[in-house]
Amino acid sequence: MPPSPCALCHTNRALILRPKDHSKLCRQCFLTTFETEIHHTITSTSLFTRGEKIAIGASGGKDSTVLASVLKTLNERYDYGVELVLLSIDEGIKGYRDDSLETVKRNAQQYGMELTILGYDELYGWTMDQVVEQVGKKGNCTYCGVFRRQALDRGAARLGVRHVVTGHNADDVAETVVLRGDLPRLSRTTSIVTSTPSILTTHTNIKRSKPLKYAYEKEIVLYAHHKQLDYFSTECIYSPEAFRGSARALIKNLERVRPSAILDVVRSGEDMAKLVPGSDEGCGGTCSSSVPVAEEEEGGCGNANANGRTAGGEMASIEQHLAQSEVAAEHNLEVEVTTSSVNGAQNGSVPFTSGKKGRKNKAQPVPLRKLPKQVMGQCKICGYLSSQEVCKACMLLDGLNKNRPRNTIELGYEGQKKDQSINGVASGIEKLAVNGV
Amino acid sequence: MPSKHIPDMTDEPCRRCKENLPVLVVRSEPLCRECFLRYVQTKAIKRMESFRVRNAAPDHQRKLLLALSFGISSLTLLHILDGQLKNQKQRTGRTGFALDVVFVDIPNAETAASKEEAFIKIQETYPGFHYNSLDLHDIFEMASEASLSSLLCGADIKEDNTPTEKLASLVFSLTSATARADVITTLKTRLIVEHAKSTGCEGILWGDSTTKLAEKTLSETAKGRGFSLPWQVADGDSPFGLTFNYPLRDILKKELVSYVDLIGPSLASLVRDSPAATQASTSSKNTTIDDLMKQYFESVEENFPSIVSNVVRTTSKLEAPAVDSSAPRCHLCSMPVNDGRFGIHGWGGDQQDGVDAVATPGPPKLCYGCTRSIPKPATNTSNRS
Repeated sequence: MPPSPCALCHTNRALILRPKDHSKLCRQCFLTTFETEIHHTITSTSLFTRGEKIAIGASGGKDSTVLASVLKTLNERYDYGVELVLLSIDEGIKGYRDDSLETVKRNAQQYGMELTILGYDELYGWTMDQVVEQVGKKGNCTYCGVFRRQALDRGAARLGVRHVVTGHNADDVAETVVLRGDLPRLSRTTSIVTSTPSILTTHTNIKRSKPLKYAYEKEIVLYAHHKQLDYFSTECIYSPEAFRGSARALIKNLERVRPSAILDVVRSGEDMAKLVPGSDEGCGGTCSSSVPVAEEEEGGCGNANANGRTAGGEMASIEQHLAQSEVAAEHNLEVEVTTSSVNGAQNGSVPFTSGKKGRKNKAQPVPLRKLPKQVMGQCKICGYLSSQEVCKACMLLDGLNKNRPRNTIELGYEGQKKDQSINGVASGIEKLAVNGV
Repeated sequence: MPSKHIPDMTDEPCRRCKENLPVLVVRSEPLCRECFLRYVQTKAIKRMESFRVRNAAPDHQRKLLLALSFGISSLTLLHILDGQLKNQKQRTGRTGFALDVVFVDIPNAETAASKEEAFIKIQETYPGFHYNSLDLHDIFEMASEASLSSLLCGADIKEDNTPTEKLASLVFSLTSATARADVITTLKTRLIVEHAKSTGCEGILWGDSTTKLAEKTLSETAKGRGFSLPWQVADGDSPFGLTFNYPLRDILKKELVSYVDLIGPSLASLVRDSPAATQASTSSKNTTIDDLMKQYFESVEENFPSIVSNVVRTTSKLEAPAVDSSAPRCHLCSMPVNDGRFGIHGWGGDQQDGVDAVATPGPPKLCYGCTRSIPKPATNTSNRS
């Protein structure tokens, strides 16, 4: 059989079976198509404005490396007129992050971009290695995820950047749509732009966006491969590959059965976000007037290796939590009066008796509640945006600091303290602890 | 898979009656046979609240249609409703509603004789209802609008073909197992709706369990039909001018399996389900998205039943948009398509940069999900350059 020619240029030999639609393309046409699609995403959503300074959340992994490379290419090709810088978060994981940061440093040189690295130790007084030493390997991803979100915002504020782009791809978005029955979260994950009305020092919003939202993970890998990009492919040592969650596996199986399925899930997610009661996004997040507010994300590693939160242990804990809520729903009134803690924890999974027919039930003890509308305020410790009085990062830090052995001698701890006071989080916690005593 | 049987837990009596020995554990409660049967029946009948005798006008008999597939769920629903109606009759001398039963025959390997036999047997077991057996291709004679015929031109089917030929050609024109399963299910729903309307039923009762509704939620999500989920999963008004109800929505599939087991052969012998455990097909060519979701939730249901019900509960919270009677509808699934957003083009995820994104596609106006299943008309597909 003669080699089939590229379906687009009809000249070169087709080398790539495109994961998204199974078309046969040559290397050059694949790269161009991939780039053009990202360009289309950026222009059709008016993602960038001329003169804007944009920080790329860079981990050294495939997604953010491809993002940096493509944005550089497109910025030059289409003259977006934006300034691109790299922002990396150092979680403090030896044998993983230190190596991947080396990759980011090389990327910075290769792409001629300024690089800023911000460490968890500097921001919070704890490296992930220290956190794991204290809380164990189980559940440490929650700390990492919560810390990372704030870290990127704080880093951006420090750089005077108002827009952070991340490497979230279509598979990530689809996974979240499938995974959680968390409606308020649906619009955040499906919309291309979210914003953090920052109440930190400056009164500016920090915009978050994911230009790779419609790009398949497989195509990102292919792009990196054929462009010979320098990226770091080791999994986080605290969240190994074997731990892969079932939602991720389901997405991959779907893709195998119908290549368009990932995109179709993303589309469904966008459409469903419009049906969430009380949502005011008639536009699916594409018009700038109603940008979903990004709240601190709970759990999970922020980027590609979002395995921790879908792992078996996590599903078991969700199950337990939901089962409690169900019991609470059945014994409606009594439980609500006596155990406020159960209700407090429910947030977002309020037991509903659904069904229009059943609604006329005369023994309806509680009026039907609207979905909990998140009211955003400010964390009273660090000032970060939060729906609770104290933000998740401060809550987690408080727990960590309480259990920190007092008498251990730690090198560099004094030094770190000075840095902390600049950022305020860790020192705020200490103040609270003092007041609380 | 049936719930865990616990022969060795004899030291603890049934959690509800505190007397009998438990026969199985349901959502961490050991229950005896009687209490378990009551548990299932109560959950179903609670969902039929609005069809109680006291809600029925004395001069008007409300009529509902039960869609029977001869699977465990819809048979259980028939069994429970039969009991409920007898009970109503006994206590009040009348019933809250009348029940019709419809079965849609889908051409497959099974012999016509065995189907016939099952259909006779069910009428003997549960007499007193009006039964109908339809063939899937009847849809081409029932659907009043021209919408389906516009579909057929794409599949190269002539108007004067017999309904059987039309269905065969349509199914043959589909290019994947997922698309075939999807189109058949969609047509089946439409046929049942048309039948309900033509026989004066005010609503349709579906046998879907919690597990099935969860499967459907994710399956339709994966097929790009997120927009129509509230109409496919929630109780109440459907966009078809009658109501949809899912009385078994609070019962897991594995609980229904146990129920049929415990009721005994009178019910179990009627079941004509596909083999219990869904086999993972070796080739992804023959696997459908529906199969994948079925496998997924069968495993989730085993250890995480609350996750299954949470999927359904969450989906039921989505608010269906108000349906204007003049709203444009999909020619295949007949769902209202908001703002006429037909086809797969013209949104953020459509990356063709407007090159051949046709704003208003030709005659078959299909929603996003149906567009994925129906192949593009043969014209100008091959010469995209």
